[in-house]
Amino acid sequence: MIARWILLSLLPVVAGISLTQSRRLSAIIGMGLFSLVLAAVYLLMHAPDVAITEATIGAALVTAIYVLAIRRTGRLTVVADEVPGLIAREGDRVAGLEYEILKGFAQQIGLDLSIQFVPLRRVRWLVAHHEADLGAGGMIHCGDAEGTLSSTPMHLATGLFAFSGTGMQQETEPAREAPDYEGYFSELLAHDKQGTLSAAVTSLDLARVLSLGRVGAALQDLARVDGEYGYAFLISRRRTTLQRDYAAYLTQLRASGRLDEMIERHFT
Amino acid sequence: MKRHRVRIIAATGIVLAFAILVSIMHLGNAPDPSDSTRYLSRALEETGASNRVAGVYLNYRLLDTLLEVLVFSVAVLGVRHYLQQSEGMELPDLSESEVVRTAVVFLSPLALLLCAFFAILGHISPGGGFAAGVIAASGLLYVAIAHGMGAIEAQLNPGRMARTEETILLALLIFALSPIAFGKLPLSDLLAKGTPGRLLSGGSILVYNILIALKVFVGAWAVIAVFAQHRGEL
Repeated sequence: MIARWILLSLLPVVAGISLTQSRRLSAIIGMGLFSLVLAAVYLLMHAPDVAITEATIGAALVTAIYVLAIRRTGRLTVVADEVPGLIAREGDRVAGLEYEILKGFAQQIGLDLSIQFVPLRRVRWLVAHHEADLGAGGMIHCGDAEGTLSSTPMHLATGLFAFSGTGMQQETEPAREAPDYEGYFSELLAHDKQGTLSAAVTSLDLARVLSLGRVGAALQDLARVDGEYGYAFLISRRRTTLQRDYAAYLTQLRASGRLDEMIERHFT
Repeated sequence: MKRHRVRIIAATGIVLAFAILVSIMHLGNAPDPSDSTRYLSRALEETGASNRVAGVYLNYRLLDTLLEVLVFSVAVLGVRHYLQQSEGMELPDLSESEVVRTAVVFLSPLALLLCAFFAILGHISPGGGFAAGVIAASGLLYVAIAHGMGAIEAQLNPGRMARTEETILLALLIFALSPIAFGKLPLSDLLAKGTPGRLLSGGSILVYNILIALKVFVGAWAVIAVFAQHRGEL
């Protein structure tokens, strides 16, 4: 009898806890726990059949289906091209300025951050087709013909560099040892081999120029393009709420001086 | 499209024909619903199932249970019908952590074991076909979450699963009506009641439990698989 009252009074507590969770996964686990406590109550009321049904449906199946449902919505899904310094894998973890900004933002809006590294052209496609929330990895937004893509406010100023692209030197081979990832550099190398390099890329941002330098490439006739450019995240034009949330977060990050502190930590 | 419409009309026809046929033959025979004490005092003796809940819903109220099973089948049919019109999407795989993958190795066999336990012993201990089927489907869902849908789809094709579900439903309905062939009323017990508490007791309840477990498992899985295909999840 006492056990039943304890469990019954536990029900509103568990319900309250799961309702007040900002992280969706925690809320779902709370709901599963609620079902489990309810099943225990049924068991104490001598209704083991109902208890089994409650436990299997409420705690097992529905929880699993909710987990499925939030795999994309409960995560801030970011697709990124790998750019050292901004966002890149270091061993088995991800590091960089953009990664740190995204981590803070995901935490602020109560989502789990999920990052997938994909080739540059896939970044644009995935964001435009709403299969990812944000595109990262040294994105400089220069307009979009279909008008589906937009960008967040800049978080780091950079420069664009034009180059003639008469051929990358053969010591750029280190790309062969790079992880099996079809990315920016492998794309450049493929164009270099086919002799279509100048058609493929006419300008590079600072981070990629530096990265190319790091793997031993020499770009000829490098010249800075006039104008103000900066890194931002790609976002779909229709995701207005996410845009507003992110803009507010970035403003707050900048005002508190934490953005400058992060930039300093990563780039000096 | 046409084939699906025919299927839906056929399914509705089966449901209606079954409901009308059984109602006519069953109504005169059903115990008085207001006499609930009869369920408690005589269930053991009349059904042979020591789990009296199973005795009530798979013997006295078998008609209700079968209609519930039909409702589930119609739901599965509806989900497949409406989702088949849209194309599936190709998305990058969402990988799951090592913790989840390791947990699944322990959880899934346990789920299958529990499913067999509840289905086979549903008439002597708590459990039953519905819970058993849901447990098995959850077990498979855990595997899918951890290892991706592709691994399972290679073994269990969703289209074939849905056809299997329809076949099991047909078997269930035929079994429910088969007592007619032996000169009994439909939905009445075909098998011996046996000694309560033994595995082979409770008349046809054991067969119903196993069939319902299979049906719910296959049906639930077909729905989950179609959802997964068309949202590209798992």
